[in-house]
Amino acid sequence: MSTTEKQYSSTEDLIDLLKAQHGQIRDLFDEVMHSQGQERKEAFRALVRLLAVHETAEEEIVHPMARRIPGGDGIVDDRLAEERAAKETLSELDGMDTDDPAFLKTLDKLRMDVLTHARAEERYEFERIQDEFSPAQLKGFAAAVRAAQATAPTRPHPGTESATKNMLMGPPVAIMDRVRDMIREARDKG
Amino acid sequence: MAFNPFEHRGIPIDDQFRNWGQLDVAPVDPDNSDPYTKCRIIALNGLEVEAIMYSHHFARMCPDIETKRQLAKVRYVEQQQQKVVNWLLPGQASVLETTISYEQVATDLTGWVARMEPDPYLKACYEFGLLEDFDHLYRYANLYEMIEHRKAEKIVDGLTEVMPGRPTYQQHRNPVDNVREPYDRDAAAPLSKLHALTIMAAEQQTMNFYMNMGPLYMEPIARQLYQEIGMVEEEHVTHYESMLDPNETWYERLVNHEYNECYLYYSFMQTESDPRVKGIWELHLNMELEHLRLACDMMRQAEGRDPEAMLPRELPEPVTFEPNKAYIRELLATQIDYTTLGTGIVWEAHERFEAMQDKINAERPSTEVVIDEHRHKFGDEYRLQTEGAHPVPRLRDKPYE
Repeated sequence: MSTTEKQYSSTEDLIDLLKAQHGQIRDLFDEVMHSQGQERKEAFRALVRLLAVHETAEEEIVHPMARRIPGGDGIVDDRLAEERAAKETLSELDGMDTDDPAFLKTLDKLRMDVLTHARAEERYEFERIQDEFSPAQLKGFAAAVRAAQATAPTRPHPGTESATKNMLMGPPVAIMDRVRDMIREARDKG
Repeated sequence: MAFNPFEHRGIPIDDQFRNWGQLDVAPVDPDNSDPYTKCRIIALNGLEVEAIMYSHHFARMCPDIETKRQLAKVRYVEQQQQKVVNWLLPGQASVLETTISYEQVATDLTGWVARMEPDPYLKACYEFGLLEDFDHLYRYANLYEMIEHRKAEKIVDGLTEVMPGRPTYQQHRNPVDNVREPYDRDAAAPLSKLHALTIMAAEQQTMNFYMNMGPLYMEPIARQLYQEIGMVEEEHVTHYESMLDPNETWYERLVNHEYNECYLYYSFMQTESDPRVKGIWELHLNMELEHLRLACDMMRQAEGRDPEAMLPRELPEPVTFEPNKAYIRELLATQIDYTTLGTGIVWEAHERFEAMQDKINAERPSTEVVIDEHRHKFGDEYRLQTEGAHPVPRLRDKPYE
């Protein structure tokens, strides 16, 4: 017996939401590593979608916030360098068959890149943001990320699946572009 | 296969210093390594920290400069060993993830020791402490899901269950009731001395870790939880250190420490699943054999006694990290309400215990609040019960209203 999180209603502010996504990303890596065939393909697709939503949200919302903090530019530049490395590995993986013997090895490289990047964000970027912004601001920013995630669910609900698939197929870079548009739209509306 | 640590020659002490490149070990994988490999790392780190601090205290009490020089030399190597061992932990793991591994060590290492301990009084003392650390694991696992949004089963990997033990708030006793009766150095089985050193070192390291890591958290509930459980670790160090015979001389205790390090590295070398890490345990065993030889020489010279007569010529059965689920469930079913009175363990809450409880728990303790908050946020609390319902009916999970 173990509990399950009640969707995102429990993750109220931006930092909480992003940390929850870090946890989900790690669990998805586990799923991809420990599955095979079609199951692995689907788990990997879910991972790519979540990474796209997550990283784009950070680029559009979190990093600009962090740049407003004294010394923030340096912090953000370091994070962007980590993200670039991860994105390169991701594009490499995207061209591979998930059953290719080299797939897991490359996936492992991505996993360590992403894990290192996530922990660095939590330690050097998120903590500063939590200090600098009010709870109300952090809640507001979470809404924009949640809106993007709702239009680009990583685990589509039955019925909406085909529409989501249409919207979020293709190489990771294309997915990120779509997500970026959604976040900007949600942010500008808010 | 018998292994006599007095018979094997290790690496000569002057060949034991390592350069920076050799100290710079690659960490284990944060998500894909054997949970018990992390447990072995944490346990051996605790042992090295104890060795280092013991040597420092010895040096502070020692008038002979040659002895102090010898201690300094071995201690320098022990510091390098500690660096290599503890630096196997990966930087990607959070403090809380490492904390959960610490409590897994406290649970399954104490479980092994309690099962193997020949002295009934000491065994009861280990069983007593075990149910308390087991509860800490459950409290931290709830904090973990709350602030990191991940389940502790990803860390303990189903090897150790996660559910209430003796509730932490009931662990705050009057400090005088934490002092136990020591074993007798002449009558005690050598294995009892080794067990006491091992668990004392592990608990002391846990105490130090929580003392220093707790305030690095920003979340109020995390800060409070590390404080409260940190105070129980103080009780545990008091409990375990008082089991050691204070009549053991400084030299004798030094020999016991070195022998115990040989025993633990040898044990973990037998059971290690990661071949690279196993190589490190083997290297360190070969260093410890020399430290033991030097300690024995020092004791012979200073006291004219034969250290080899104190300890067995054959290492005991290897200390093994393995699940203790049935054993712990049995203890939960029978010892949950135990507390201590004087040096004994008793069933009933007594006046001094009640007075301490009233004072210290005047406000709702964080170890209860963390469960309240988890239930409020997630609709339930976090548990990992792989073997069915909790053996104590009143500690079973209740639906959240």
